[in-house]
Amino acid sequence: MAVTSSDTHFLDIPDVVLTIIFSLVADTRTRNAMSLVCLKWHLLERSTRKSLTLRGNVRDLFLLPTCFRAVTDLDLSLLSPWGHPLLDSFPNPLLLAQFLRHAFPSVVSLTVYVRNPSTLHLLAPQWPDLRHIKLIRWHQRLPTLPLGIEFVALFEHCRMLSSLDVSHFHCWTEDLPPAIQAYPMLAASLSQLNILKHSSVEGFKSHELLAITASCPNLRELLATCIFDHRFVGFVSDETLLALASNCPSLSLLHLVDATSLSNVRPDLNDDGYTSEDASISRSILCDVFAGLPLLEVLVLDVCHNVRDAWPALELLNSKCPRLKSLKLGQFHGICSGVDSRPDGIALCHGLESLSIKNSADLTDNSLEAISLGCPKLSKFEVLGCKKISAKGIRKLTHVLRNTLVDVKISSCKNLNVVSLLQTMEPIRDRIERLHIDCVWKNADNSVKQTASSNGETRLKKKNKSRDNSFCSRTWSKLQHLSLWIAVGDCSGERRPCTGSLGLRYLARYPSLSRMLLDCSGVIGYGLTAPPGYPDLSLWERFFLYGIENLNLNELNYWPAQDMDVNQRSLFLPAAALLAQCGSLRKLFIHGTANEHFMMFLLRIPTLRDVQLREDYYPAPENDMCTEMRAESCRRFEDALKSINRHIPD
Amino acid sequence: MGYNLLEALNVQIVGSGDRYLVLAHGLGTDQSVWQRILPLFTPSYRIILYDLVCAGSVNPDYFDFTRYTTLDPYVDDLLNILKSLGVDSCAYVGHSVSAMIGILASIRRPQLFSKLILIGASPRFLNDEDYHGGFEQGEIEKVFSAMEANYEAWVNGFAPLAVGADVPTAVREFSRTLFNMRPDISLFVSRTVFNSDLRGVLGLVRVPCCVIQTARDVSVPASVAEYLRSHLGGRTTVEILRTEGHLPHLTVPALLSQVLRRALSR
Repeated sequence: MAVTSSDTHFLDIPDVVLTIIFSLVADTRTRNAMSLVCLKWHLLERSTRKSLTLRGNVRDLFLLPTCFRAVTDLDLSLLSPWGHPLLDSFPNPLLLAQFLRHAFPSVVSLTVYVRNPSTLHLLAPQWPDLRHIKLIRWHQRLPTLPLGIEFVALFEHCRMLSSLDVSHFHCWTEDLPPAIQAYPMLAASLSQLNILKHSSVEGFKSHELLAITASCPNLRELLATCIFDHRFVGFVSDETLLALASNCPSLSLLHLVDATSLSNVRPDLNDDGYTSEDASISRSILCDVFAGLPLLEVLVLDVCHNVRDAWPALELLNSKCPRLKSLKLGQFHGICSGVDSRPDGIALCHGLESLSIKNSADLTDNSLEAISLGCPKLSKFEVLGCKKISAKGIRKLTHVLRNTLVDVKISSCKNLNVVSLLQTMEPIRDRIERLHIDCVWKNADNSVKQTASSNGETRLKKKNKSRDNSFCSRTWSKLQHLSLWIAVGDCSGERRPCTGSLGLRYLARYPSLSRMLLDCSGVIGYGLTAPPGYPDLSLWERFFLYGIENLNLNELNYWPAQDMDVNQRSLFLPAAALLAQCGSLRKLFIHGTANEHFMMFLLRIPTLRDVQLREDYYPAPENDMCTEMRAESCRRFEDALKSINRHIPD
Repeated sequence: MGYNLLEALNVQIVGSGDRYLVLAHGLGTDQSVWQRILPLFTPSYRIILYDLVCAGSVNPDYFDFTRYTTLDPYVDDLLNILKSLGVDSCAYVGHSVSAMIGILASIRRPQLFSKLILIGASPRFLNDEDYHGGFEQGEIEKVFSAMEANYEAWVNGFAPLAVGADVPTAVREFSRTLFNMRPDISLFVSRTVFNSDLRGVLGLVRVPCCVIQTARDVSVPASVAEYLRSHLGGRTTVEILRTEGHLPHLTVPALLSQVLRRALSR
């Protein structure tokens, strides 16, 4: 038997090489395991950990570990209690801010929840070399603050900033332009700006956009919400677009999204798929805009108002923006006729790798065919709200693109139902990695699940390794991420959801399903205040969550249903009770509130180690009198979670 | 007691004014139910808010099952809070069970309360021979069996799933709030509340009262408001809100605030 003469061990590898190997490992749990092997590995792991999210109660900040000095990307936004002003509860906040700096001297990228300006006044001076910052606030901006004061606090101390993300930061649109204009050197070196505001329904007005872009000529990435409806002051017109292109010619990524697109409501279109108003954008101007942005690689124009006969501009896109790889268009019509199976319009953009078409009223199966022939590199394809396409067209597309497509999303297309959709996925079943479909059962030969009626919707997203389809028996071997939209019907009178439930227990047949995002926030109802004859949300909780204990979930993000009357998204008894039955949960994040009695139910889960209530919707409930926001309740719960009496098996 | 009462029951004082106003919530809710009413009164009153010991927002460890067997210990808590805060005189607004607590408190300390405002109040929930409290025996039994089922499940490690919608329609709206607490506490407190009968002591109240009732609160019939008016010992008025439901401070805060303001000024 041959024996290797040199018993080379992993640790004989030179340190330099080991360091590189370690730095390539991204998964946190793996890294934690690596750091336990021996002292050398511990030191190596710590010295190569670049990214860290701090969890834990801010009150314990003095226990902060100081071994992570190599961290360059720090996330402070998830400290408990979530959403509270960061250092306000301390008598000497400056000391703690300095301690943070001492623990993390190399930070160049920061994510932080800014409840009020004091946080920035304390933290910004600690890291003057900051390059990237993401500000988060779901609570309302205090109306008494002077305009732009928070941005000024930031810009004053962090002059090297090149990337600013306020997409989840509630502030007024008027806050940013004056601050940007007050720091021209910083503005001139800004290369990434994300002002696509998810945290409110306001869009930037045209003059604000132009003021910002005029000060930031070197922007390479810009994402912004704006107003395309010409009936509103400050709407985006042809002039705006032209000026924007000329202000920032180096843009490689541009997202312009109408503010109404971000509200979670399904589009309200007339029967033909057109909005009542057209956008004030002419296609010839679009041609000029594209000509002005030759470096464009990613373009999103989610207009929400009709842009008709767009094909000439789109054909030009191919030659004017040769680097374009990813395109999303909302409410563009006439983008591709597909007549005579010849590629035209958007199908001429043969370099596209990702294409998303939303609410295109005249998109037909011929268009889909033309696109599939004209864009052979497409790996990601999305189609939403297109009423004229059918399963035949999708099938053609998946067939032609069967060697490249890995990510498909099909939603709100009324001619499609689940059964036919799944059949259209046949050609790519073995290679598709991410899939979203709407579970619409009408016109389908339904033999599997029944859904009851309610006027809401739920979105169930999950991660999965393999899916054994109940209609056909082949496996989806590469599917990692599956997202389903399930309409739960219509709730009037005394009808209760049927006890069969959402079918969560069917998911038990996928034992490797470990992470789930269950978003029931589309369901609107009444919590405590239901008028007679209206079912309350606690009844619906029983329906949504029944069966969840049969799944082997490690991690769950749950968005409870909403009582919009009182702006409450809360757990009631059935939710707390059913969630507490999920014996394998390690992490649970509830995007809403829960009272202390119900939070304590969760301690029954033996493996639970990380729980947080994150009211990350706008407007986040303000009032500290609300039980769920109380720092004391949070502290008691977290102490109980961490207590040594709880023996966590792993 | 062994704990600080003011902290345990989350006592807060907000607002500025020279008069005190206590806002006391009902079962299954907590002081946050008043948040839409508050802004209208903070300019003119120092408002005292607290949570009942059974509220979902209070550490359940503080609920002493041997102590809170009747409504009197709840009255003790209220009076102790006011004493700790040094309050000599205040107006009191109580919803549902807190209305009962307010009545008992003012009998014990007549000088303390300048006015009692009782929202969704009833001296006794169970119907009697000549008295219509709103709940039939059979309906109460359904409520209790739902609570008992929850308790059994909870104690044995199963999921308590009975909710307000599982009780008879007539008493659903009131009962819904009862399920917003831990199952053992809900069961215990519900028994306390349904066993209470204040009819005999109403006459001992000397303080002026205002009884606020919604036009249609199925489990607190209109006749109860009239009963209170005729049996409460002090000068009593009745205001009917032109709306439905058991939680007007949540559903119609503006309307309720108007009525409250009127009642407080008289």
